[in-house]
Order: sequence, then C-alpha cells, then structure tokens
Amino acid sequence: MSGNPPLIVNTKCECGHQNPVGTVLCEACGNPLLDGADSARPLEMRYDGKARRSQKTNPGVIDRVWNFFSSVKIAIYLIVLTLLGSTLGTVFPQESTFLHIDPSTYYKQRYGTAGDIYYRLGLSHTYESWWFITLLVMIGASLVICSLDRVLPLYKALSRQQIRKHRRFLTRQRVALATKVAEGPEDWVSKAVQPLKKQGYRVMTDGGALLAEKHRFSRWGPYIIHIGLIIFLLAVLARGLPGLHMDQHLAFPQGEIVHIPDTSYYLVNERFTVEFYKDEEMPEEFRGKKVLPKLYETKAVLYECTADCGDPSREPKLAKVASHAIQVNDPLSYKGMKAYQFDYDLTPVLRSVTPKLVNSATGESYGSFKLEMKNPQRSFTAGPYTLELKEKYMEFGLSEEGKPISKSPYPNEPAFFFLIKGPKLPAGGEPYFYFPKQNDKAEFQQDAINDKLGGQGRFLELEVGDMSGVDVSESTSYLNVRVDRAMPFVWVGAGIVMLGLVLGFYWQHRRIWLTVGEGELTLGAHTNKNWYGLRREVSSFLKKMDINADEKSLENGGDPA
Amino acid sequence: MGKARRPVQIMILVLIVLLGGYAVGTTAFGGDGKPKEGGRAPSFELLGLDGKTHSLDEYQGRPVVLNFWGSWCAPCVKEMPALEAQWEKWKAHGVIVVGINVGEDQMTVQNFVNGVGVSFPVLMDQDREAVRSYGISPLPTTFFITAKGTIDTIHIGQLDLGTLDAQIGKLVNR
Repeated sequence: MSGNPPLIVNTKCECGHQNPVGTVLCEACGNPLLDGADSARPLEMRYDGKARRSQKTNPGVIDRVWNFFSSVKIAIYLIVLTLLGSTLGTVFPQESTFLHIDPSTYYKQRYGTAGDIYYRLGLSHTYESWWFITLLVMIGASLVICSLDRVLPLYKALSRQQIRKHRRFLTRQRVALATKVAEGPEDWVSKAVQPLKKQGYRVMTDGGALLAEKHRFSRWGPYIIHIGLIIFLLAVLARGLPGLHMDQHLAFPQGEIVHIPDTSYYLVNERFTVEFYKDEEMPEEFRGKKVLPKLYETKAVLYECTADCGDPSREPKLAKVASHAIQVNDPLSYKGMKAYQFDYDLTPVLRSVTPKLVNSATGESYGSFKLEMKNPQRSFTAGPYTLELKEKYMEFGLSEEGKPISKSPYPNEPAFFFLIKGPKLPAGGEPYFYFPKQNDKAEFQQDAINDKLGGQGRFLELEVGDMSGVDVSESTSYLNVRVDRAMPFVWVGAGIVMLGLVLGFYWQHRRIWLTVGEGELTLGAHTNKNWYGLRREVSSFLKKMDINADEKSLENGGDPA
Repeated sequence: MGKARRPVQIMILVLIVLLGGYAVGTTAFGGDGKPKEGGRAPSFELLGLDGKTHSLDEYQGRPVVLNFWGSWCAPCVKEMPALEAQWEKWKAHGVIVVGINVGEDQMTVQNFVNGVGVSFPVLMDQDREAVRSYGISPLPTTFFITAKGTIDTIHIGQLDLGTLDAQIGKLVNR
C-alpha cells in the first residue's frame, strides 16, 4: 500500500499557508512539503515548487484531456511519432514532386511491388495524410497546454517571492552554506547589499533576511520559443486558406500574353534564352560527352488588368507593372507573387504567316495579308480579289469517312480553305486550299488538290516569299508561379523562436537567499543552469564579506555542473 | 486558483478542435482540388458562341449536363448527335446541355457547330481555365450537375444515347 498516495493530503504548511494540491515547496516559506524533515537531498526546484495548473484531486473529462496534453512525456512521444512518420514519407518521392503522373500506376511501374504497397498505404502523400496532420495538431495542442500549465504558476511564484525562507529550504539548495558570523543580523545584511548589487543582482531585504536575484527574464525563454512555434504552425496551417497560397506551372510561348489563372495578372515571355557551356569552358573529362546548361533566362513583363477583367466577351485593359529577366533562383517578384524559371521547350510554334496572292502565269503580285493561326480574320482583300476563309485545320488530316479534320488544336500542320472571288473567276468563287508550311504543301499535294477543285484555268496562288513573312514563337518557357502570403508569419514565428532560444541560452536566472540569526548565517542559492558560475559568484561575494568559502565547499550534492 | 480557469480551458480546447478539424479537413480530405462526385461544381465565366459571357450560376435551379469537347477529338465528335438528341428531348423538363470547347478559336468552334447541327449552348474555353478548375484530362468528359449545383456523376469517355438518357433521367428525378 505504500505506493498509493493517501486519499486526502494535508497541504497546509507549518508556517500556516494553505497550499494547492501538488505543491512541492510551500508557496510562502519554501519549506519542502512532500518529504520528511530528515531528508537532506537537494530540492526539486521546478516551477519553484508550485503545483502545475492541471494537478487536481478529482479530474473530470476535460481535466483528463487537459492533463494528457499537458504531459511532457506525451509531447515527447508525439514528437518521436511525427519524426518516424516524416521518415516514412522520404522512402519514395512524394506525389507532389511530380507534375503529370497518375500515382495509382506510377509507383507500381517505377518501384515495383514495394512502390505499390507504398502507394496503397497512402505514404505517397504522407505529409497531407489525416494522421500526419492530426499528429501536428496534437503537437500544437501540447505546446499550448504545456506552456499555459506551467508558465502561469511559475509567473505567480516568481512575482510573489518571500524574502525570508524556511531554514530547510536554504540548507537543501544545491549551493548552500551555514557558518557562524559575529555581527548582528541587520548589520550583516545591510553590509551584504552593496557587493551583491555590484554583481548585478536586484536585492531585497527583510530584517535579517535577504533575497538577491538576477536575469529572471531568461526563465521565459522556453515559453517564448513555444509562442514562436505556435505562430509557425498556425502560419503553415493558414496556407490552406484561399488566396494565401498558390503554386502553378504555366507555359509561356515567346511573345504571347498569358493570363495567370486565379489572379488579375498577365505575363509575357518577351524572349527566352538557353545557353550551354562551350567545350573549352568545361573540364577535360566532360568535353564532347556532356551538354551542360549555362543560362536559362526568360525576359518577362508582368501586366495587371485594370478594367474589363474576367469578362471574356471584352478585351481586358492591361497596365505594365513589372519586368524582370528571370533566371534560375532569380524570380520575377511582384507583391508577393513570384515567377520562377522551371522548364523550356525549343519547339517553334507557328503564329502567323503573311502570304502574297500572285498570278502564277504572269508573276504579277496582288498584295499580301496576315493570316493568324488563332482567331484569324475571316475575309481578306488582295488587289481586285477577295479571299473568304471558310475552314481551317490546325493539324490537317482525314477522318475515317475521308473528310478533312484537325487532329489536334496545335498548329503543327495547318491548312486553310479559301473561296476566292474576283475578275476572271467563276461567279460562285474559286475554292483554294493553302498549306503555309512547305513540307505540308508537298506531303498533302496542295497543287493536285487545287487543280482538282479549281480546274484547268487556275492561275492564282498564295505564296510566302521568305522567312520575313512567317511569324514563329521560337520557344516556350515554363514558369512556376507562386504566391505564399503565409511566409512572413513563418519568418516572424522563426524569429520569435530564435529570440526565446537566445534568452534561455545566454542568461541564467540566479537567486541567492540568506538569513542571519542567532550568530549564524544560512545561505542557499539556485540557478536554472551553469551551477559552476553561480558557485563562483557566491564564493566571491562571501570573500568580500570576509568569509572564506571555496567554490567546492558550497556544493551540496546533486548535479554539480 | 482563478475562477476563470474552467471557461478558459474549455475555450482553448474548443479552439484546438476547430483549428485542428479545419486543418485535417482541408489538407487530408480536401483532395487535390479537383471536383469530385457529390462535391460542388466549380463556377466559370466563359464566352459563348452567341458573343455573351455565360456562367454556371445562370443555370441555377436547373439540372446541367456539362460536356467538355474538342473538334479534333473523335469520340467527342461521335457523341455530339446523342447530346443534341437528349437536349431536344429533355429541354422541356428544364435540363440544360452546355458544351465547353477546349482551347479552340471561335472560327473552328462555329464551323463545327454549324457542320454537326448543334443547337445547345456552346462556350469557348480558350485559356483552358474551366479545364483547370474542373481537372479535365482526357476528352470528352461530361459532368452531370444537379439543380442544386452539386456534381452527381462524372463520365469520362464517349457517351451513348442510352447512358445519357438514363443519367439525365436520374438528374431530373432527384
């Protein structure tokens, strides 16, 4: 039965103070309450002996939940579990690292059965899984509750300190001394004030008792760290809120203005450059074997829509807001939005051609017009002739029924079907098929088709003289457009953590209590770390008071560090 | 100790449950942002062939069949007559069929619509914004949306007359 605590604990101290359940040292005089008067072990000074808030005789459901989270042991288990969980997420790459994969087949194909099991267990998205987020939330709860449960009692204990302490409290400190003094109590104490003040202590006296204290603020360090961590966690959580976080990969063909979805911004890739190292610039072993990129650069201009935005029936009004030569790790940045270089494609894309209408018999030219691949004009005039655009095919092909169709929406093998009207042509107009690309013209036999459609007397042709009549987007740059408005809060949180660390690491809360009475000086001292430094300080103080006590002799058992 | 202790304790626990529930709910069960069956249909604003801007909101209160298509996609072309037939059959019941063309220009879409004889409203998604918000990858993809604006069924691939009829019937009888 000895292991069970008694049902009703008498928590009244011999000094008359009524302490709450769980109190280790009397709140008033510091007398150790839990162990017998004969014990000489150094005192447990955590939270200055105050009961933690959660310590209660009859815990209810809420108290039990509260106690669960206020336990440091539970917090450590949670952290270890989270660490193990995070480790699992690093076995194979996470789904979020790929842009275009089907995870249900990818993991099996790439990593075999292990990959399949990994995917099926949901570990391919570990950091977004319910159990991982739940662990994080529980750590957050533990942070808040652990802190509250300890910081408030500690604050109360430290702000209501009694100067005169129980003798047992003093003799059972890790740094302690009892020695004879000749002077009267009040004289000795008043003499002691000055040297302690010199050592940087705040000194309070009460007759023959004295309390000297310094650097109490360092005790708040751990709690400041917790506040920083909570801000950090909340900021990470807030990224899920709409508008705070965006991460998309977009294609920007050179020279084309592209709307950035979910924003009022438009971006133009004015010129994309990729450069590679020349052979002579590379180390010998790479020459002729490797192609190493030297530079990826997108000259980008950012526009903001100022009016008629989001209404597709109207042309948006744009104002230039920023421009930047985007390179790897040097994004375009505007009001929290960042555009990073991500990928490129050097396949040229045909944008428009400017063919001339010529008389193939006489060589006479009737003028030219610009034919856009996307949203072309529907009718053109060249000299006395009008050309009506009837059909267009971006990637020309024939359907199963033999009808002309487009095989894709991309202008890979474009074809245009015109009806030409004018002098010496049939009244209904002359049909004409036009393939702007020379290759396609031969492949699809443009002349043969037109001969068949227009008959023998056909004399008009569309021709592109040289490359000046061809407008090509030379390349496409892929940019990663990101917004992360939670980032400043992440930094603030991290900064507060750092402040807390500095406070807790570089300063120590030191206290010296002493009482003089009946010709004896009793001294006890406490610090939260660096006992060596404290002993030295106490020893040098005593020396000034003409008491020779070397540092070692002050040691009173326990951890001597 | 302080009298305000219990309410403060309860408040903190409730806050943790709310925030934690939100975190778990959005991150773990919010999925990849693609709409799912049973979820809300994302709104869109697209230019119609009639030259006006149309949004999903204007069809509120009516069951919507939202068909994503392209003129280059053979199964899309093949299912068009079935869609047109079902539009004729069900429009008296308030059902609306909307075709969203993916990435082609007005001329291509107009020619296609005239050629096939489509009479239901057709919208153009040249910048592929609706494609993105609806998470479309293969074409055709058809969303059956209830009068309340929730997605009843997502059908990927070519639809035949029978399935289409059954699906729309299900939408109307909800």
